[in-house]
Amino acid sequence: MEPVLEVNGLRVEYRGDGRTVVGADGVSFSIGSGEIFGLAGESGCGKSTIANAVTRLLKPPADITAGSIRFQGRDVLALDARELRAFRWREIAMVFQSAMNSLNPVLTIGEQIVDIFTTHERMRKRAARERAGELLQLVGIDPGRLKAYPHQLSGGMRQRVVIAMAVALKPRLLIMDEPTTALDVVVQQEIMAQIRDLQRELGFSILFITHDMSLMIELSDRMGVMYGGRIVELADAKDLFAGPLHPYTEALMNAFPPLTGPRQELTGLFDAPRTADSCGFHVGCPEDRSDCSMNIPDLREITPGRWVARSKARSSEGASR
Amino acid sequence: MTEPLLSVRGLTKDFQVGTIFSRRRVRAVNDVSFDLPAGRITALVGESGSGKSTIARCLARLEQPSAGQVLLDGQDILRTERRRVSRAYRRKVQMVFQDPFGSLNPVHRIEHFLTRALVLHGHSATPEALRELIKTVGLTEDMLQSYPHELSGGQRQRVSIARALAVEPRLVLADEPTSMLDVSVRVGVLNLMRRLRDERNIAMLYITHDLGSARYLADTTMVMFAGELVEGGDALAVMDAPAHPYTRLLLSAVPDPERAGGHDPVERAKHREAILNPMSCPYGDDGTCSRTEPVRHIVGEDDGQPHWVRCHLRAPASDIARRVLKATDRLDDEAPDAPDATEKAETTAA
Repeated sequence: MEPVLEVNGLRVEYRGDGRTVVGADGVSFSIGSGEIFGLAGESGCGKSTIANAVTRLLKPPADITAGSIRFQGRDVLALDARELRAFRWREIAMVFQSAMNSLNPVLTIGEQIVDIFTTHERMRKRAARERAGELLQLVGIDPGRLKAYPHQLSGGMRQRVVIAMAVALKPRLLIMDEPTTALDVVVQQEIMAQIRDLQRELGFSILFITHDMSLMIELSDRMGVMYGGRIVELADAKDLFAGPLHPYTEALMNAFPPLTGPRQELTGLFDAPRTADSCGFHVGCPEDRSDCSMNIPDLREITPGRWVARSKARSSEGASR
Repeated sequence: MTEPLLSVRGLTKDFQVGTIFSRRRVRAVNDVSFDLPAGRITALVGESGSGKSTIARCLARLEQPSAGQVLLDGQDILRTERRRVSRAYRRKVQMVFQDPFGSLNPVHRIEHFLTRALVLHGHSATPEALRELIKTVGLTEDMLQSYPHELSGGQRQRVSIARALAVEPRLVLADEPTSMLDVSVRVGVLNLMRRLRDERNIAMLYITHDLGSARYLADTTMVMFAGELVEGGDALAVMDAPAHPYTRLLLSAVPDPERAGGHDPVERAKHREAILNPMSCPYGDDGTCSRTEPVRHIVGEDDGQPHWVRCHLRAPASDIARRVLKATDRLDDEAPDAPDATEKAETTAA
């Protein structure tokens, strides 16, 4: 089956005065139809850079210097401004990190949703208003709230409004960049259930970005772990949880205190600075990784569907493990 | 157990909401009593809007409680310092806020924050004192000359903690100190708090909605729901053997990869039903249960601490409870909702 999104060897650079920072390097992954794909990693690892690259939202100084992004066979990087306008929202929609604050405070929820339909679908106001009501119902909000301003809604409700707006035009792919970070566990659980229901109903694919490994493993089908702009492990979410192969994956999984088991001393992830020629994580690695001190190696397929960033010597060892 | 450092008795806080024409009261905290012993970390967990932060703000005297007593060393400070809090109190009780980006003035160097805290409270701000302070929280000396924007979130939160420590407080109120931080530095801040407890015998109130971190860090955990405490006890006991349906509901909301397929909706619905329409209380063998009085049942003892739970029969007294739960309800069984109400409940949390 043809994947919905195919990212191949993507490299994004942020060019500064005399200094270039690599935001993402050699990132390759694909998302199948109706699949939930997760990207995990700490701040600054490049996961949002990927999301912005896929939607072509990167602005200078960011620059895509290598690689390709294909959406249902189309080359996303070659789209011109007019095509992009149709491409965004209708094909790919995005829910941002601070989505709750991305609503316009001086317009009612209704006006903002109606705006989508009148602009993208050229609908009449009246019909658009009706659709807006249905949309709110879809995410469990009373259509009567169309007249409400964003500040009159709670954080969780605002987030649901934003999700409703994202799926308004029935996109094939929904990108969610830390959709529940600012919410408490109960609301987070609600929103996640909501997203699962919507996905089942509308059948879109999801690119899900978060630093919360447990949340991601619970929701995603397949996931990649990013570190320093590269994917260090790519696997089925359940397999990855059962036995992380990359030390960074393991460290990230242990960064949250667990809810079960004996109380154990945890150590935070290593906060070492990353430079162009060293994988900063090497310093904090729990095991000897002397063979990859210079760079994060490319991904290698260890068992079918299971990719780990390791040099050759170690991958044979990993397979035997 | 030794004499607690700070005791709270019957703390209640009402907020006035609405305009001058439609004024009404929202009870954010209702009749809350607990002790904070020295050298122990007490976690206060609950969802947004349950009144956790209001308690911390009342104890820091940023809000004026509507009723109740706050006893520090046996003296009711709400009575002795009725209107304004004395500097002596602030010297004993310090607060660390949630947002390390908003709580440090961007135009001053780190040195300034620490010097000010030292000088205001009668300590001399010698370079040695500053150096020692910054080292205590795991930062390096040269950071004294940095501006807040040059530091990461975790480092900034450490500066906030250093600032609180400058006055050598006996109680630190930490209001979600890690929720704005990145995963990679969260555990570091938690470990720092634990070290301070052990080394300086500081009492801490750790407010969070991250149950995992409460389990990791705290000695005692109290669960708050709609402005009332519903369960408390040894941190591990409360998490591993929750006695109140609300605690179970809260725990079931935490993502856990080990529970394949996520939460069990049937189980959750049952917990919710047990909170909203309680039929019986499994702990009231002695007939003490009451629908009106907050009865505490002791369900066990761990590590010398009683594990208590509020009688299940007492459905949440404030309207907030019903509304908060309604909001959660909506998704699972498509119940007709009162969106108005949910929003109000959330507002009170702010």
